[in-house]
Amino acid sequence: MLKKAYDWIDERLNVTPLWRDVADHDVPAHVNPAVKMSAFVYCFGGLTFLVITTQILSGMFLAMYYTPDITNAWYSVKYITDEVLLGNVVRGMHFWGASLVIIMMFLHMLRVFFTGAYKAPREMNWVVGVLIFFVVLAFGFTGYLLPWDQKAYWATAVGSQIAGSIPLLGPYIQTLLLGSHTVGALTLARFFAIHVFFLPAALLVLLALHFIMIRSQHIAGPL
Amino acid sequence: MSGGERIPGTPRYRHHLLKNPGTEPFFPNFLLKEWIAGAVFLTGFMLWVVFNPVVLGDKANPDDTSFIPVPDWYFLFLYQILKYYPGSDIVFGTVLVPMIGALLLIFTPWLDTSKERHPYKRPLATLSMVLMTFLTIWLTNEAAVQHKAEVAAASGQASSGLPQVPKKAPSQITLVDTNMPGYTLFEQTCATCHGKKGEGGFGPPIYAISKYWNATQLKHFVENPQGGMPKNGTLTSDAQVQQVVDWLEKQTG
Ligand code: HEC
Repeated sequence: MLKKAYDWIDERLNVTPLWRDVADHDVPAHVNPAVKMSAFVYCFGGLTFLVITTQILSGMFLAMYYTPDITNAWYSVKYITDEVLLGNVVRGMHFWGASLVIIMMFLHMLRVFFTGAYKAPREMNWVVGVLIFFVVLAFGFTGYLLPWDQKAYWATAVGSQIAGSIPLLGPYIQTLLLGSHTVGALTLARFFAIHVFFLPAALLVLLALHFIMIRSQHIAGPL
Repeated sequence: MSGGERIPGTPRYRHHLLKNPGTEPFFPNFLLKEWIAGAVFLTGFMLWVVFNPVVLGDKANPDDTSFIPVPDWYFLFLYQILKYYPGSDIVFGTVLVPMIGALLLIFTPWLDTSKERHPYKRPLATLSMVLMTFLTIWLTNEAAVQHKAEVAAASGQASSGLPQVPKKAPSQITLVDTNMPGYTLFEQTCATCHGKKGEGGFGPPIYAISKYWNATQLKHFVENPQGGMPKNGTLTSDAQVQQVVDWLEKQTG
């Protein structure tokens, strides 16, 4: 039955080569913790991706209740925290997950660095990885404002002031970030849009590139 | 795809028969084991989430400028760098240092071009990364400690609820009535924390405390101090406390 369904799809879309590419490759022994425990360091990348997946999921659920305008944002987060079934857990996942992504990504970067895995021919994948790192930091910066509480507001106020103090470009960057000269309604709407549309789009493209390159270049061999 | 691929049709679970022992197919063998590791990881994460509920602070109030701002912890190292370049040097902290860091990170593969991959065989690269890691962790910690102290100081100020003596250079301070016995006691005890001239150090400036506080408030604070101030400023007898307070009463700046 399953096989029939698979064949039906395969006849029309020719998914077998795709499937083979995703699933049908050997995992070398030196990255397999089941073979050698110390190979657990090779898990950090995968775990980063796992946490990013939970971030996307918890974020989608938060977006069901969150309202990105300055009169309601705080109350909607309060509602999520106090009233919504498991709302506090989902919010907790998203809050702590943000930190966990950074930690796992940092560990992954250290692993790649100390095993010299960024060396030819994998330079481009290192660069993509660094870009992912920057995108994740941008996620953190924009997401921090969304609850619209005191620490969110003042962190963004200071952050944008710092950006504004950059010579020449500063005032433009500040206006681009804030939408006006202070943190306000426009800032919140814009941070929300960046956080839930622009950055996820960028992140997914970069992650796809990251994974495609791993598949075509393979994991770096044993040290 | 080049070598290392599984030949379609080879039995999955007999990977020891493959010519490269130790490797195993990604799917399902490896993924199933990975999934167990992932499940354990997720369970730990969920337990952490459940036992550390996130609190929502007060609603944003743009008029309340007394709030001490702090970025999320993973930006603290950048925030700390800023503090080392005050005034017109700020551009070092806002642009140059972070920019150099980012560029070094991006161009790592072209900075370390040797064929060697083992960390011990390229000591310069390894050492730089170890140093950068420690520096980042240290800066993060430093910023966190300083923020904590700032918050504590601000709340100490709020709980005493009285006006503060402004900071002033010791050379511009003139203490009066230094022949009183209270002054000797001040020099021996209070001065270790508040400075030889009361200009402040570990404790806040108090050289002109009586311009801001009356004798009752002063005596009450010294006998029931808050924050890092020891009870009676380590004096042992009430008489001595009275003498110091009598002397401080004359200090009006
Ligand atoms: C171990 C260090 C230490 C010693 C010794 C010490 N102080 Fe203090 N003092 C402090 C600290 C720290 C504070 C700030 C407390 C707070 O957080 O409000 C303080 C605060 C004060 C204040 C309140 C100042 C303000 O503006 O809030 C007064 C007055 C004061 N001390 C008087 C004295 C006198 C008088 C003595 C000597 C008998 C003395 N202190 C000895 C550490 C010390």
